[in-house]
Amino acid sequence: MGQFIVDVNDLSRSFGRKTALDGVCFRAAVGQVYGLVGANGAGKTTLLKHLLGLLRAQSGSVRVFGLDPVRDPVGVLSRVGYLSEERELPEWMRVDELMRYTQAYHPTWDASYARELIEMFGLDPSKKIKELSKGMRAQAGLVAAVAHRPELLILDEPSSGLDAVVRRDILDAIVRTVADDGRTVIFSSHLLEEVERMSDHVTMLQDGRVTLSGELDDVRRGYHRTRVRFVESFDHPPVIDAALVMEGGGRTWSVIHNGSLEQFHRSVLALGGEVVESRDATLEEIFLARAGRNRQVVAA
Amino acid sequence: MLWEIWRVTRVEAAWRLALGIVGGLAVLAVFSSQREVIKDFSAAIALILIVLPHFVGWLSLAKLNSGRPGFPLYLLYTRPVRTAVLVAVPMAYLTALPAAIYLVSALLLRVTSGYPFPLLPAAAWIAALNLVVAATNWSARNRAIQMLGVMFATSAWLVLAIHRLTAVEIPGSYDWPPHLWPTLFDFPLTDYALIGAIGLASFGVAVASVARQRHGDAPAAMPRTVDFPGFPEDVVNLFRFPCPTSSATRAQLWFEMKSSGLPVLTMGLGLAISIPLVFAITRPIGFAHDYAPSWAGLCMLFVLMFGVNAFGIRWRQGRAFASAFEATQPYGTARLAGLKVLVRSVCVLPAMIAVGLSVWASLSFIAVGKGAEYLRSWLHVIEDAVQTLTDYQQVALAVVASIGVAVMIALIAAIMALAARYPRPLNIATSLYLLSWGLVLVLLALAGRRGIGLLFGPTRFIDAPAIVLATVYLSWRVFSERLLTLRSACGAVLVSAAFGAAWITVLRAAGVQLAGAPTMDAVWMLSPALLPLIASFLAPWSLSRIRHV
Repeated sequence: MGQFIVDVNDLSRSFGRKTALDGVCFRAAVGQVYGLVGANGAGKTTLLKHLLGLLRAQSGSVRVFGLDPVRDPVGVLSRVGYLSEERELPEWMRVDELMRYTQAYHPTWDASYARELIEMFGLDPSKKIKELSKGMRAQAGLVAAVAHRPELLILDEPSSGLDAVVRRDILDAIVRTVADDGRTVIFSSHLLEEVERMSDHVTMLQDGRVTLSGELDDVRRGYHRTRVRFVESFDHPPVIDAALVMEGGGRTWSVIHNGSLEQFHRSVLALGGEVVESRDATLEEIFLARAGRNRQVVAA
Repeated sequence: MLWEIWRVTRVEAAWRLALGIVGGLAVLAVFSSQREVIKDFSAAIALILIVLPHFVGWLSLAKLNSGRPGFPLYLLYTRPVRTAVLVAVPMAYLTALPAAIYLVSALLLRVTSGYPFPLLPAAAWIAALNLVVAATNWSARNRAIQMLGVMFATSAWLVLAIHRLTAVEIPGSYDWPPHLWPTLFDFPLTDYALIGAIGLASFGVAVASVARQRHGDAPAAMPRTVDFPGFPEDVVNLFRFPCPTSSATRAQLWFEMKSSGLPVLTMGLGLAISIPLVFAITRPIGFAHDYAPSWAGLCMLFVLMFGVNAFGIRWRQGRAFASAFEATQPYGTARLAGLKVLVRSVCVLPAMIAVGLSVWASLSFIAVGKGAEYLRSWLHVIEDAVQTLTDYQQVALAVVASIGVAVMIALIAAIMALAARYPRPLNIATSLYLLSWGLVLVLLALAGRRGIGLLFGPTRFIDAPAIVLATVYLSWRVFSERLLTLRSACGAVLVSAAFGAAWITVLRAAGVQLAGAPTMDAVWMLSPALLPLIASFLAPWSLSRIRHV
């Protein structure tokens, strides 16, 4: 792994009595795509806002390109592209004015790339921001965020408001282009399938804490979905080592678990059962196992 | 529905009640030891104070749709309730509540002071006014129509009130002393019939209009998705010139000029043009012509108001915040603050000059009226004072005025930013400040004829050191947070020095001799020279507080 351009260490933040971030550590290396996942209010946007210097660290430290984004906003923000969750853009501006305004701040602005993206999205440069739909605002914001080819691209819920075609064909392409150019992308998303498709790394936040972090393949390899069958019938989920979530009833249960497969097999055998089939869990299954509700959860 | 409206309006209702009662009681208490005539007059002022809060619409409700004209409770449209009920319940509530607040205030003042504060008749007319205002606000879908409607309703109400209260003319005094209140406020039954008719008409108009909004025949009053900090978009987009791409400073200058600077200037010039027009149009109407000069004062006030909020603080449903779009641009906080204040000042100043010149030029249109004489005398005083100054002193006055406007804009912007960041501590500080002034008022009343100087004298021992300490503290903060560079700090010191030199020149021109004055008095009089320095430090520091929350 290369040099870290984002280094968040033991970051905590509270809003009144609500703890938004609690001792978060997060690092991002050059040329990688990082996906932040978590339930609503888990702290994803709060973490991203700290990276941009929009929030001051109450405790812990935040360094982006080795700089403190609060003390040196120009040094950090000139190398960052950002798309906010609220798509907050001046409503009176026209699309072309937004592009020119953003261009003035970034000497690295690639006008032909901006034009290409505007055409790809079908945006009318003479239209005011207030006349754009939510999805078109996201597209305009995305062009402004990526056209200066930033070293770090931060996208807060980029898919929100985008239709499926734009999301899959264009957003994915943009993110991959940025990463392939040796630049870094950090994005938050509710769409786990999207995070699974686009990210190299995944970080899961829950109640302001990092509950899972690592390379996507490693994370996926560490969790399995296994279908087990027992001789006797169970009214309640039987206690199996390393099981996070169990679904089903009677003799057949579907289990999301981590740890080694051998140990899991031994536990099932000890209860008089057998493993019917096993595969790597999807990110969604891992997420639901970690943060899911309304399920028959057993102690991990 | 009633519970919902109560939750939305309860704090504002409490404020209205508290303001009326505390204000009324304070006025009565302050003048309680005075002569009978002054005590009577204080009762009249107390009556005005308990009526006044009910002249404005409900701000807490207006917040629901970002102050746009239309029915603010648009979320109720999906409830299984008939439109008539949807309108009737809040309308009844918003009519009954001001009347009830007034009745409680009046009863309390009646009991404590013994003056016959009117109860039912005044409450009925307050209810009628609120009905009309609610119906106008909810029915109009155009801002101008909404404002004109509310202005017309309020003016009609005032004219009627003045007509009734001046029914008995008392030479050499005001016409509605407390001993006449029982007679003056004994309204005939026809008044109550008229109030009933107004209520019915208002309700009918509101129901018809809200039904159209509910079913999409008229645009509904939805809140803005992103609140624009203030200026109408038509004015913002009046000037179309391309954003320069050669430097960040030029682009930011374009942004500030387009989003706030030029709209301020345009609206200021518009107001300046309106002054002679108002004077000319009202000339044949004696009553209106008497009040026309007050429009000039209002115009100046509007221009000053355009100068506030230089940092573009936004509000969305009562929450204040800074624009994340601007906060994430790679531009230094101190430079951003400086640019914002500079642009706003550069545009407010000519707007003020334009309004001032317009008033001066329009005086030839005024033939009669007490207001015009008052305005003329003020202008003569200013003209005479300026004529006695030497060229050098006039330059100093211009410097003081120009930097003074910039300092005012910077300080107000900083206070608004701090209020957005620290609303509770600032509310407490403001309350304590107002309380201290209340205390000063009471002491003033108790001190009687011993002189105001006796009370205000000691405050200079607090204010002057406070200004010095604030300057030292803020300079330490901006340097420790690396907000200001040594170069920009030197610039601030130079501006402050220029202001200080100009200030001393103006003081001398006004006949103030610092040499012979006691040290504390001299420090007190010189302390404003530090204001540009404080503003230079406070503006970037406060902007930094909302940029990096």
